[in-house]
Amino acid sequence: MKKELIELKVNGRSHELAIEPSKLLLDTLRQDLQLTGSKRGCDDSSCGACTVLVDGTPMLSCTMLAASCEGQEITTVEGVSEHGSLAAIQKAYGDWGGAQCGYCTPGFMMTVKHLLAVNANPTEEEVRSALSSNLCRCTGYSQMYQAIKAAIEAEQKAVPST
Amino acid sequence: MRQKLFEPEYVLDVRCIAGLNGIRPQTGIGVEIGALTTLNSIERSDFLRKHYPVLTEAAATVASPVLRNMGTIGGNICLDTRCLWYNQSLTWRKACGYCIKKDGDLCHVAPGGTKCWAAFSGDTPPALLCLDAEVEIAGPSGTRRLPLHEFYTGIGDNYRKLEPNELLTRVFLPASSADYRGIYRKLRVRGSIDYPLAGVAVVLKRFDGHVSDARLALTAVNPAPVLVKGVTQLLNGKIMDEVLAEAVGELAAKTAKPLTTSALTPEYRREMIRVFTKRALLAAASN
Repeated sequence: MKKELIELKVNGRSHELAIEPSKLLLDTLRQDLQLTGSKRGCDDSSCGACTVLVDGTPMLSCTMLAASCEGQEITTVEGVSEHGSLAAIQKAYGDWGGAQCGYCTPGFMMTVKHLLAVNANPTEEEVRSALSSNLCRCTGYSQMYQAIKAAIEAEQKAVPST
Repeated sequence: MRQKLFEPEYVLDVRCIAGLNGIRPQTGIGVEIGALTTLNSIERSDFLRKHYPVLTEAAATVASPVLRNMGTIGGNICLDTRCLWYNQSLTWRKACGYCIKKDGDLCHVAPGGTKCWAAFSGDTPPALLCLDAEVEIAGPSGTRRLPLHEFYTGIGDNYRKLEPNELLTRVFLPASSADYRGIYRKLRVRGSIDYPLAGVAVVLKRFDGHVSDARLALTAVNPAPVLVKGVTQLLNGKIMDEVLAEAVGELAAKTAKPLTTSALTPEYRREMIRVFTKRALLAAASN
């Protein structure tokens, strides 16, 4: 298929890419931009390992065409860290054992980032509902739940409420 | 597409057609929902939750939260029928000699028959059937509008009346079905991501403690979502109790024709239709 020139905004930077119009967003991120954080898991849009934010909304990059994301702001796990250091949620996942093999973690990061962006203080039910979008086959979800709680507490300590 | 169930020459992304996206209440007439409205927007719509709660409840059970950001109401209505012998990779299907729904000429679920029994597994259509929804279909010769129950054929491999050059564009809910109490109950193996293995939608209106109108629809147990006949007559003018709910449950279980198209046994899925119907009716009639 003939390649076309598209402009993709990823993690705050614009990239001009020559890709096939049929190319999936996940493949474009991994192969053309070398952003290999987002993973291919089930490849049939159930597992959530490829989750990225498109204009702030979590979506599955294995089921989207890169060309149709032109003009939208894409955030991958590589864009989660703050000024080169780990974001609170990334640190908490490490501290609380939220990742074991780590394959699903980038997807979870994006889901959790969105959860905390729209709701700074989610209830237990809201956290569990958000986590239900992604599959983890080794650690389980309890450690992740604790990590998220810890990250919320860390954020609240860092930004004293006035 | 990955399983080579669809091999289209072209793929068109229609997400950006703004005119087909959004929930537009029309006073006295009802509400118009664009086919591209995401299931997440439906789940979060205060208007729909207030007036058509069975739809928001059904939308909130589709797949997972992230998938509901991508999935649309139009997509859920048009959802392909599913079967254990069909939703498999090309290699898997080839090894079994294919099936009548795709590339083959026999049905593994009902051997000997020539009918495809793949189960319709959308969550929102039973809710929409209870709400007397209509759909608008656009094609080369203009648009047509038909009641949702006429959209489905009940034949697994030709399950909807939509030509290749047509597009489902809008869904209409009439004002007459607003403000019913509504409940949707869904059987699945995991609490998230999964398609329903049996689903029950109930709407109910009461006057002075007595049921004045009620409708019940099933999904995932037939090749089409179906309204259970005779429910209104059975319930009208009565006070809801265990015995009455049980009787409607029996009726629903008789309407359900689950086969070995999905995980779990057909017997269990039919039994759960009975149980969910009873629970949903009692929940809809409780204060």
